[in-house]
Amino acid sequence: MSRARDAGAAYLLLAVLATVGCKGHRDVYQEALIPGVGNLALPADSAAAPLDSTREPGTLATVAAAPVEGWTGAGGRSFKVATRTSEEEAGHPRRFGSITLETALRAPPREPSQRPGEWSGTGALTQYPCTSCHLGRKIVMREKRVGDAHQNVQPEHPKQTGALCSTCHAADNVERLVLENGERATLDESYRLCAQCHISQVDGWAHGAHGKRLDGWQGRRVVMVCTDCHDPHNPALQPRIPFRAPHIQRTRVPVR
Amino acid sequence: MSTDRMPEQPDPAPGQSLLEKPVDRRRALTVLAGGVAAGAQALGACTPLSATTDEEREIRVLAWREYIKGNYRFMTEAERAETIARLEQLARLRQGVDVTIQSTGAQPGVLFGYAFNISKCKGFRLCIEACINENNLDRAADTQYIRIFEMDEGAVDLEHADATFQHEVPAEGHFYMGTQCFQCADPPCVRVCPVGATWQEPDGITVIDYDWCIGCRYCMAACPYWARRFNWRAPEVPPREVNPNQHYLGNRARKTGVVEKCHFCIHRTRQGRLPACAEACPTGARVFGNLLDPDSEIRWVLANKRVFRLKEDLKTEPRFWYFTD
Repeated sequence: MSRARDAGAAYLLLAVLATVGCKGHRDVYQEALIPGVGNLALPADSAAAPLDSTREPGTLATVAAAPVEGWTGAGGRSFKVATRTSEEEAGHPRRFGSITLETALRAPPREPSQRPGEWSGTGALTQYPCTSCHLGRKIVMREKRVGDAHQNVQPEHPKQTGALCSTCHAADNVERLVLENGERATLDESYRLCAQCHISQVDGWAHGAHGKRLDGWQGRRVVMVCTDCHDPHNPALQPRIPFRAPHIQRTRVPVR
Repeated sequence: MSTDRMPEQPDPAPGQSLLEKPVDRRRALTVLAGGVAAGAQALGACTPLSATTDEEREIRVLAWREYIKGNYRFMTEAERAETIARLEQLARLRQGVDVTIQSTGAQPGVLFGYAFNISKCKGFRLCIEACINENNLDRAADTQYIRIFEMDEGAVDLEHADATFQHEVPAEGHFYMGTQCFQCADPPCVRVCPVGATWQEPDGITVIDYDWCIGCRYCMAACPYWARRFNWRAPEVPPREVNPNQHYLGNRARKTGVVEKCHFCIHRTRQGRLPACAEACPTGARVFGNLLDPDSEIRWVLANKRVFRLKEDLKTEPRFWYFTD
């Protein structure tokens, strides 16, 4: 139901954008966001994309990034999404960037993932590797609701949308995402999956109004992906106690 | 505001006497100070108030030289290098901290702008924490450049908003709005400064020469956004927590009786990095970039989102926009 409504909204937006001739928008919508409309020109499976080794060590610039081909950011330029190296976690001075890193980092892989040294959503699933139970058990993935089997997963999002595991996860491999058109994506490519419904969010993300940019305002654009900030099963940011309040004094502070 | 330096004065012709040289007030003071310093050194051995160790003596000499230096804008490159070397040595002697003070200039073709998403900000105040650590803000007086106001839904009145909230956020029925120095294009604070200790750099950042500020606080009265902070006491930062990456016009050590304010993390942004607040924000509410680059994120936000600026009727032209999703 909501998908139908979103698709409707997408058509409307597409029409509006086509009218104003905003090329960057139109490309994103046509190619990525409307299943069945236009040809989905997204990369098939960019897990094998080459790593960029040109980054300088010592700053946040050591974030290794996988290129997002076929996606355009501000001004029609391509951009990269961030994946982090465990090496960087150890070497980065956490003092000034700790808040950022706490937000950005997940547990480093205990064993080398497909590409050694690189953080990835798939590689971080070392505590409970999904495939130790799920590989080859298609029926479980298709029929069960998320929360029934996993107490630790808060299935707010599936509850609200009525989604099944297999709406997002590939039925035969839980560590692969499956898109509406049947294409597959890795867990690092959550934006491809989320983009199918969350049109305005991913539009802002592609251009810089939504999501977190890393690595400085200058040079190549490096952004975090959806699941770096949002728990995919419970996407709303959780309330928390803020950093301490200021002592606001409009008059002078007494001098000792 | 021009940043041109004063042309160097030609050396006097040989044979010209000291009295015939064109001597400005500052140069005369320098000569005088040299004499005073020499005198103090001569007295050093017998006066109980004078320096007793080599270190103290060095601090005194360095402090003297610092006292008689010029305005940063009118210094030559060599003079800048000298004062930076002195300041770094003073930090080493006084606090035991090895700091690096930059004098990096503005990049050509760059004008900084900031956008703040009031739909996204959740009031976590992590930007404030990052700012305190990054900019060596006074821990004793709890100086903070950024304020996050908790606003009633639908309200736009900052006067009645609460910046001292201390409960779980985001609270129902509220939104959050952050303020800091907006780096106005027509800054009233610069216009009122009687000594030229604050000015606007070519990349749009309004900076303060802490060694030229006389602490009159006119700028604080002139600022309609309450962006400036005054040091009633010398700021206290535990040596362990001092950020050694510093800029002369930014987060270097301040002293008693000078004004300071947000400078868009000049030591970071001039090297292409994000300001600490933008990097710390976990919600992505803060967008920073180059206004002169038509492909930048901030330009996309300005072109495609509903934006407004605070107290726009004052015509201060802040380079800080608020926007909604």
